[in-house]
Amino acid sequence: MEGGPAITLAALSITFLVGLSRAMILFIVTSGLSFVLGVLRVPNLAHGSLYMIGAFAAYSITMLFGGGSVGFWLALILAPLVVALISLVAERSLFCHLYQREHLMLLLFTFALMLILGDLTKMVWGADYRSIMPPTILQGSVSIFGSPFPKYNLFLLIIGPLVAIGLWLFSSKTKIGKIARAAAVDMEMVGAIGINVSWVFAFAFVLGCFLAGLGGALVSPTISVTIGMDHNIIIEAFLIVTIGGLGNMWGAMVGSLIFGITQSFGVLLWPQFAIVFPYLAVVIVLTLKPTGMLKSVW
Amino acid sequence: MMKKNTFIVSLTLLVGFFTISLILMPATAQAKNIKVGVIDCYSGPAAVFGADALNGFKLALKDINQQGVLGKKIEFTTRDSKFKVDLALNFAKELVLREDVDILVGTINSGAALAISAAVAKREKVPFIAWISKSENITGKKGHRYVFSAGENTAMAGKSGGVALATKPYVKYWIAGDDYEYGHAIADAAWRNLKARKPEVQLIGKSWWKVGEPDLIPYITSILAAKPDAVIFATGGGSMVNIMKTIKTTGMADKVGIYIHSATDHAVLNPLGINAPEGVMGTIDYHFYFPELSANKRFVSAYKAAYGQPPGFPAFQGYITAHFIAEAYRKAGSLDKEKFIDALEGLQIQSPAGRIEMRACDHQAILPMYFGVTKVSPEQGFAIATDIYTLRGVEVMPSCKEIMEARGQ
Amino acid sequence: MFGEMIRQKSFGVSVAIFVILLLAPSFLPRFYIYFLAVIFVTALLAMSLNLCVGHGMLFQFHHGVFYGVGAYTTGLLLAKTSLPWWLAFVAGPLAAAFAGLLIGMFCIRLSRLYFGMLQISLGSLIWAIAFRWYDLTGGDDGIHGIPIPDFIASTTSSYYFVLMVLGICLILLYLILKSPFGSTLQAIRDNPERCAAVGINVRRHQLKAIVIATFFGGVAGVLFVVVEGSIFPDLLFWTLSLEIFIMCLLGGWFTFAGPILGAAFIVSLRTFVGTYTEYWTLILGIILILLIFFLPEGVMGYNYRKLFRSRTQYSAEGQTE
Repeated sequence: MEGGPAITLAALSITFLVGLSRAMILFIVTSGLSFVLGVLRVPNLAHGSLYMIGAFAAYSITMLFGGGSVGFWLALILAPLVVALISLVAERSLFCHLYQREHLMLLLFTFALMLILGDLTKMVWGADYRSIMPPTILQGSVSIFGSPFPKYNLFLLIIGPLVAIGLWLFSSKTKIGKIARAAAVDMEMVGAIGINVSWVFAFAFVLGCFLAGLGGALVSPTISVTIGMDHNIIIEAFLIVTIGGLGNMWGAMVGSLIFGITQSFGVLLWPQFAIVFPYLAVVIVLTLKPTGMLKSVW
Repeated sequence: MMKKNTFIVSLTLLVGFFTISLILMPATAQAKNIKVGVIDCYSGPAAVFGADALNGFKLALKDINQQGVLGKKIEFTTRDSKFKVDLALNFAKELVLREDVDILVGTINSGAALAISAAVAKREKVPFIAWISKSENITGKKGHRYVFSAGENTAMAGKSGGVALATKPYVKYWIAGDDYEYGHAIADAAWRNLKARKPEVQLIGKSWWKVGEPDLIPYITSILAAKPDAVIFATGGGSMVNIMKTIKTTGMADKVGIYIHSATDHAVLNPLGINAPEGVMGTIDYHFYFPELSANKRFVSAYKAAYGQPPGFPAFQGYITAHFIAEAYRKAGSLDKEKFIDALEGLQIQSPAGRIEMRACDHQAILPMYFGVTKVSPEQGFAIATDIYTLRGVEVMPSCKEIMEARGQ
Repeated sequence: MFGEMIRQKSFGVSVAIFVILLLAPSFLPRFYIYFLAVIFVTALLAMSLNLCVGHGMLFQFHHGVFYGVGAYTTGLLLAKTSLPWWLAFVAGPLAAAFAGLLIGMFCIRLSRLYFGMLQISLGSLIWAIAFRWYDLTGGDDGIHGIPIPDFIASTTSSYYFVLMVLGICLILLYLILKSPFGSTLQAIRDNPERCAAVGINVRRHQLKAIVIATFFGGVAGVLFVVVEGSIFPDLLFWTLSLEIFIMCLLGGWFTFAGPILGAAFIVSLRTFVGTYTEYWTLILGIILILLIFFLPEGVMGYNYRKLFRSRTQYSAEGQTE
């Protein structure tokens, strides 16, 4: 490698912050996956598809309301709701009838759902690249030690922890949240004390998908929205959930941070080999901690 | 015995499925039209290019079929390879062996193009015209009698970039791009040619990210920290919008010179609208607004009328492929595949960008390259290329001698 | 054991099918011969995976890696060296089994999902190497037009070769599953703690199963090179592994021949439906859902009952539960 990047304070700070902001998106998406995994004990292969639909929905809603900042803020609220609605429909019409079956049947169902949603997305939105801009106040960059750092990424650094705190409050302080947490640990017991298990499942699934949609909506101004986004994110999400600890929301945070930051620093220090970093990180973590960083709920 | 019942039921279903498709096999006995088999990616991030090329192809066929070719029409059938090489191979064989196509055409995936070229075109002796894939090996090292290319390749694109950059004052360069063959090939070609013409340039670093990487900020940051004079980005179709967005967000084009092949292409600039970065240098073999030939204007207005937006380079390449096919058949006077190939070699056609020749020695279309700089056009709502400098095809292609050496002949 | 196999009713059916397949090239058009060869290769791959998944309950999530390693080893030896073809053909499965051993040793310490995820990561590292190491592997362009020995180069002769190899492998797999080794493996699948309690080295047994399965996966890889004459990184990518996993689930992962059906079904669907529409994945998804719902007595439901039944038998044989 001829020459190398200058390891300046600016470069280090930006690298760290970028890794952090990327980790926030990953956290939001994987917390949803982790939640579904914890309560339903099923890896939702369609999770990436819902993330992609969230991004496309954000695009359409933004365009519907003029393509500007107002459109985007509305999209941020409405797109995840659209995704949640889609998942509710899928769950109530099809998924809920399968809860008595073996887990691998549920996995097969989520695989079929992934295929269907992928093609439906192509049918509805077509193959073109879509691009939306962040709202005006979040466009451009701030200068950190002389290097540019996108304002939108700063926004992500705020949103991520807010979502995390929101989820934590929700799962520990509200009744539904506590039921869901209990269900993740011992579903039979929850059923035995008279709570409708089917509705708990529905709720967990919809919430997980809502988070996927939110992640997709949040990521949409930073990349090109295109079909194929689902495949890219799903493998990362699964790896993160595994190294974080299955079903554990804080595990999703830890896993996302590891992923985002190693990716970022890897890019700075060995840009030639950035392609392998996520996998190396997983190998190292699982070698040192075979059941993931934090306790899994299983 | 449940197991056997299930087994028999499923087996029967399968056999039934199989037999039905055998019956539905297209009748080959009738006097057939000319059949073109199109394999391309209609799913995934590359789909927009495949769709564009097919549109250009269909538009050309409308005119061609009015006249007819040897008293017949040209038909086509498409297969979606979903950017997977094994699917592309399966469908190529299916098109040749079952649909009995006369010619194969496609695809954006270079790996698939090379596979089809070697396993199907060469083996079954069916002509294959690659129309978007850019690997220089298609008509270079791995070229042969049965494969043609109607699109530019990495050698041509890289050389045009290198030639153009040699006229600029930049000395310290950084190279970055998608970590796959296309990226490396373009970067190598550009650097090789730049260094040959301007020996004092220095390469101070390289960065490669995984194909489809959504977050390019850390790469840009580390590049800017090294303070190069200019950066050569070697990004493929899927990453173009991402890199352009990142350049805009970080204001990179104001700080360093930037060159990216296909940065000036309409398919890339259109989704960005008025938010495209300005001052980015790029090369491409087709612009719908340049040169302002009447043939180009007619093509563009017909395309807009049919598809609602102006054509990008894949549409142009699909369009000329159709005309190459039609003219070659007319010249050959017969449907015989060997005569078709002989007629296609050295054939010149009229295209929206002027006369284009299919070079005989390597079966590569001689395409001009346009080097331009992005500038937003508020009245049109997207960015276009300005200060366009044309490089003629023969200036940017490897010579016949170099090709033959590469092929080991 | 061999004799017992011959006496099974399903053996007669299989022989009949085999004879029909032998005669197929005389009445089928060339494309269908090629198409059947593709199904055979995929079927062998799915069968090799099922040794781990269905019969061993190992979360072998990246089996495709071993298929790819087999294909790449053989392909590279054929294309880049002048070693004799049979050496290249044998090297493929051996390399795959070796990779299976290495990766298996790494992953076997983990359980269930973690096993699978670690395998995906390690396998993806191999994918990345093949993808990037252009000079050796051709990078993402791949290597095409690999020279295949003349006697199996044509469509029909490669078909026969693949059919023969498939037949032999299926017999071998059947014998392995019915052998004490296979029974122990299935016992471990059903109740690993009890097996460990009676002194079986669970990990070592599973590792052996992995090596066998990856060996056959490598054989499938070699057959792929014979049929297609190409190698490319897609063979090592996780999406392929997911597809063969689904084939096993679809076909019936507790049965012996289920994966063959699953493979045949998916390859047929994508080829034939793919000629009519690019949305064949949508159709596959819909059919999968229909199968899940309307074939409750089909492969999945039946297998659940079979498992349940064998458990009851086991406990009826005098275990204190």
